[in-house]
Amino acid sequence: MELFFQRLIDGLSQGSVYSLIALGLVIIYRGTGHLNFAQGEMALFCAYCVYQFGEWGIPVWIALVLGMAVGFAVGAASEVTLVRPISKKSPFAVFVVTLGLFTFLNWLDGAIWGNQQLPNSGVGSKQQSYPSLFPNAPDDFWQPFGVTIRYERAGILALVLVITALLFLLFNKTKFGLAMRAVASNTESAKLAGIRTNTVLMVSWGLAAAIGAVGGVVIAGLNSNVNLGLMFTVFIYGSAAATLGGFDSPIGAVLGGLIIGVVENMASGYAQEWIGQDMKLSVAFMVILVVLLFKPSGLFGTAKVERV
Amino acid sequence: MKSLATIREGGAANWAFRIAATVVVFALVLYVPTKTGAGTIQTAIEALVLMGAAMSLNLLLGYTGQISIGHSAFLGMGAYTTGILVSRYGWSPWYTFPVAFVLSFALGVIVSFPASRIKGVYLALVTLALALVFPQVVTWKKLSWLTGGGSGLPTKDAQVADTGFNIGAASRGQMQYFEIFGWNPLGDLRKPDNKAAFWYWIAVGVVVIIYLVCRGLVKSRVGRSMVAIRDNETAAAVMGVNLVATKAFVFGISAGLCALPGCVTAIKTGGVSPEGIQSLTVRGAITFLIVMVVGGAGSLWGPIIGAAVYVYVTDITGGWASDEAIPGVLRPFFGWAKIPPSDGIFAVLLIVLMFVAPRGLVGVWRQYSPRIVRVLPRPAGTTGAAPVAIAATITNTHSEGEHE
Amino acid sequence: MPLLDVKDLKAGYGPVNVLDGMHLHVDQGEFVVMLGANGAGKTTTMRAISGLIPRHGSIVFEGHDIHKASADSIVRSGIAQVPQGRGTFPELSVEDNLLAGAYVRHGGDGVHDDMDKWFAVFPRLAERRAQRAGSLSGGEQQMLAIARALMSRPKLLLCDEPSLGLAPLITQELFAVLERLNRDEGLSVLLVEQNANLAMHIANRVYLLETGQIVASGSAEELGADDAIRKAYLGF
Repeated sequence: MELFFQRLIDGLSQGSVYSLIALGLVIIYRGTGHLNFAQGEMALFCAYCVYQFGEWGIPVWIALVLGMAVGFAVGAASEVTLVRPISKKSPFAVFVVTLGLFTFLNWLDGAIWGNQQLPNSGVGSKQQSYPSLFPNAPDDFWQPFGVTIRYERAGILALVLVITALLFLLFNKTKFGLAMRAVASNTESAKLAGIRTNTVLMVSWGLAAAIGAVGGVVIAGLNSNVNLGLMFTVFIYGSAAATLGGFDSPIGAVLGGLIIGVVENMASGYAQEWIGQDMKLSVAFMVILVVLLFKPSGLFGTAKVERV
Repeated sequence: MKSLATIREGGAANWAFRIAATVVVFALVLYVPTKTGAGTIQTAIEALVLMGAAMSLNLLLGYTGQISIGHSAFLGMGAYTTGILVSRYGWSPWYTFPVAFVLSFALGVIVSFPASRIKGVYLALVTLALALVFPQVVTWKKLSWLTGGGSGLPTKDAQVADTGFNIGAASRGQMQYFEIFGWNPLGDLRKPDNKAAFWYWIAVGVVVIIYLVCRGLVKSRVGRSMVAIRDNETAAAVMGVNLVATKAFVFGISAGLCALPGCVTAIKTGGVSPEGIQSLTVRGAITFLIVMVVGGAGSLWGPIIGAAVYVYVTDITGGWASDEAIPGVLRPFFGWAKIPPSDGIFAVLLIVLMFVAPRGLVGVWRQYSPRIVRVLPRPAGTTGAAPVAIAATITNTHSEGEHE
Repeated sequence: MPLLDVKDLKAGYGPVNVLDGMHLHVDQGEFVVMLGANGAGKTTTMRAISGLIPRHGSIVFEGHDIHKASADSIVRSGIAQVPQGRGTFPELSVEDNLLAGAYVRHGGDGVHDDMDKWFAVFPRLAERRAQRAGSLSGGEQQMLAIARALMSRPKLLLCDEPSLGLAPLITQELFAVLERLNRDEGLSVLLVEQNANLAMHIANRVYLLETGQIVASGSAEELGADDAIRKAYLGF
């Protein structure tokens, strides 16, 4: 039983990272109907930036805020300069451009920071390990009822819940949130209500990338280093979470991420022999496939996935 | 549009141009193995493998409009089929090609059934997941009795130590000469240059086969159904195209063809593992897609041009991580980068082409070449050209229509 | 000076111009109806005035040329449009739809008073204030779309075929509300209709539109009196 709760806690905190990536995907999807394949790589770029800020001696929470600002700028600029003009052509063109952005950002990370994992004393990193947002020394944990809760994992879960709550307030209690929901619901009527839809879309992309940046920093912290391949699988988990929750439902994205985190941890824990660490990704793959085949709108979405 | 010269299709000048182009292609293909060394030949093999993979992807994406970022898995099917059959069961590599095609065809058909219900970028998502899962499956410890697990093939207990036609090795069964009815065109295969040339000709053969299959398919009835699905699925269904069957068939052919360059890679590398062969991973799948779109999706020569340009640029700039290797003029532009610039160059090229020339480099050529030489279509009813021939030309132009 | 003065308007989709030099005007407090068959360019006219599509020519509203203005600034200047079909936000609640309609207004002053006012005019919306707009009936959605447009406190209301898909009784009710708004509040209205009978008797002035051009204009009585026009366009 203790083992069960242990895996539940670990799964929830792991899943909360997927929730962040999924949230970013959902915010963009709701506004524009596009799937941003570069979401993970935008987050990775921010994670590298936060490493760099750490090298410069900036405290980790300030570095995180700066990293989110970088993410916002990258996301907003991508929307304005690339996605908006190309989306007049075809959905396929948007797909190719986000894939190009994916490749470009990954290359840019390598070009700036090299292709070895960081921090790395071999290239003169001052930091011992990737900056962690929460205490993560070996003895930083509670142990209520025999369940080990590491401060770092609990902190990450709390952070994600706080971000979710803030987003909920933004969407439902602010004028700009109303505008975002209006644009997601009916872009033309939003224009006729006097909403600056272009601004809303730009900010949506920026916001999505800023949230993704938190995900990137958290995952790099858990991993204790950042490397070029870090986000490939995280992106697939995040996509699986968004698919499961429904591509147009923020709350679905958060719950989807948590569910996938838990399922993944349970599956690799209880079926160690068959799934273990090596085959965890197949869980995400099956989730995507099954949901798209049998309930394309996901658990909380409205059915309009198919766009003709 | 003004052009410098105008020639008639089928006229002497037109034929001269066609013959010249053919001669150039043949000369290039012959030049590499005979006049260059093993290093260049190996690079050319990489280009050929990429051509094969991109051409098979083109069949699916360029002509049928089904997005796949999972073709690395099909290439991997080929590589692992060859690796397993040769190193575990002692097969001759020759016989592994048809087996790889059939197995990968089957996998493609299986993938196509969910794919026929999942559209657009969601299909991209599913196939991307496939590309990420494939390396995990082949390195899975439960399958290591077959695939060799994380360290790949061949394993220590392999019956044959080297999958690469076992040439140049001093062990039993080694192949020293490649003879056709007593004629030995390549010389002693234990020499690195000759060995590389041997693999090269296999790769050329694979690419020619894939080209011919693509060409045949695209110009057939099935090809028109494919283009119809790409341009408007609903309209295609109304016109009587069987969507599920056509997609399953194209998925199967595309996957099966993509396995063949995988076999070549296994033979050339002499070992198979996701770490050893980047084309088996998601990076490979993305590369196929970039190569295809940059070259020109939905045109037969697009992937060929794209792969050639890609490998050429990657090869030239491969050493550019260190500043000294960069030619002086370009040093200020690329000197700061810690890794070679080719991925960045192609990512930018991909995005720019999407804006200015969505039909890729081949599209650019088709758009601007008439400004230099314009080929007038053969006028109807002259020089005894039968109406059938003209109809065929029109159909060809249609089925070769590019992706929008 | 007319409230809205459109001169030589050219607009369309892609290379084809649906409107090729059309003129119309709406005076302060006027109820103007534009009649025309399918494809005559009625909706295009509305979309061009609201700034949803590229257009050429001159569109002067309260003395300012707005033919280059963006859609949102046109709303800010006081033109609200009820688009054809369902001009609502189906995923948002009825209340949120109305709040979105008040998006251009600065500060929250009077927004809730206005909301109560429109709930009084459309009592059925008040009963469903917390429901998602998508769950309303067609007539209720059309009322919501009109209330949503009025929340921006427009000087000119553009209505694009509000009767489309509605039962005759509902349509009559809707037109009665529009007429009352025009009479009591002095709201200027430009209404597009295919159904001549319903709209003619509340109009101060009528335009007949055919293939992107105004072919006739005048009061309802004048047009109704002309036999040729009546037979060809009005169908009665």
